[in-house]
Amino acid sequence: MNIRDCRSQFWQGVRDLMPLVSGVLPFGLIVGANGIALDMSPELIMGMTLLFFAGSAQLAAMQLIQENAAFVVIVLTTIVINLRFAIYSATFAPLFYPLKKRYRMSMAYILSDQAYGLCSAPDQQQRSDAERISYYLGTVLALWVSWVLSVMLGIAVGASIPPEWMLGFTIPLAFLAMLMSTITNRLLLIVAVASGLAAIFLQGLPYNLGFILAIVIGVMTGLLLPRITGRSFNSIMGRPHE
Amino acid sequence: MNDLNLWVLFFLCGLATYLIRLSFIQLHGKSGPLLRRSQPVLLLLPPAILAALCIPPIVYSKQAEGLQVELAQILAGCVAVVLAKYFKSLLWPILGGMIFLWGYRWLIG
Repeated sequence: MNIRDCRSQFWQGVRDLMPLVSGVLPFGLIVGANGIALDMSPELIMGMTLLFFAGSAQLAAMQLIQENAAFVVIVLTTIVINLRFAIYSATFAPLFYPLKKRYRMSMAYILSDQAYGLCSAPDQQQRSDAERISYYLGTVLALWVSWVLSVMLGIAVGASIPPEWMLGFTIPLAFLAMLMSTITNRLLLIVAVASGLAAIFLQGLPYNLGFILAIVIGVMTGLLLPRITGRSFNSIMGRPHE
Repeated sequence: MNDLNLWVLFFLCGLATYLIRLSFIQLHGKSGPLLRRSQPVLLLLPPAILAALCIPPIVYSKQAEGLQVELAQILAGCVAVVLAKYFKSLLWPILGGMIFLWGYRWLIG
């Protein structure tokens, strides 16, 4: 293992993350500013940020707190939103499993969408394990720092934003923009429409249960539709058969 | 919810999130088949969750007399959808939607 190669891979990771900061910054600002608008103390918002380290789950929790959702519904929502980390965890398992337990456990905390995206680039796959871990550390530490700073900035700015600006509306808009980027084929579009319509009609249910139910309806639609039309799930999703 | 409740809530959410992140890294190789079987669900979850999260608060606002359909917010959502198609960064759809909403409220009230 060559220390210099590892160091250069670390800084390569930091550099590769920089363009993604333009996506992280507005998100962090929205989280910080909305926390202040919800009357949360700066300590509480930063505590939440360090405990979650997951922007979309944080925004969702804030939206549900605003809607007076039940405690259990908020925890459940966070889990469902963060289930995607299980896929990333499986992807990085061969790389991190040989490490000492305490390193493995800290690597897991900083796992993120951005690191997953950057580290699964074909160029990275060809490098040695030590270089890949260094690159991973570069991306995640740069992301962690920029995320925490963006939320702090949001907290600082949040107090001076007048209520007429309807800052709270930035949360659903951010989710809508993310939704658009996840719809890559017709089946996923149908899933989104089914879930969205169900959420509208079930809005009146107590404890925000309509939200959880709408997700179930959306996923069921996506699982059942390929069977009804007689096509395999993998071919619709454009994935090779296993 | 008071501050103590929120701290407990965030601690539980953070713990759950961490355990999901750690899951396969810790159980290396032991749960491959489980992941393969649940993969369709994991692929379908993001659009289902995001739609259920964003559609109702765009369509309705909560007023004292109940839910009210908000035309300005629905149109702002449409602006954001169009912008999201052309720009990769989340900044432009969010900013565009907000500017539309402010403009609409300023013109029509």
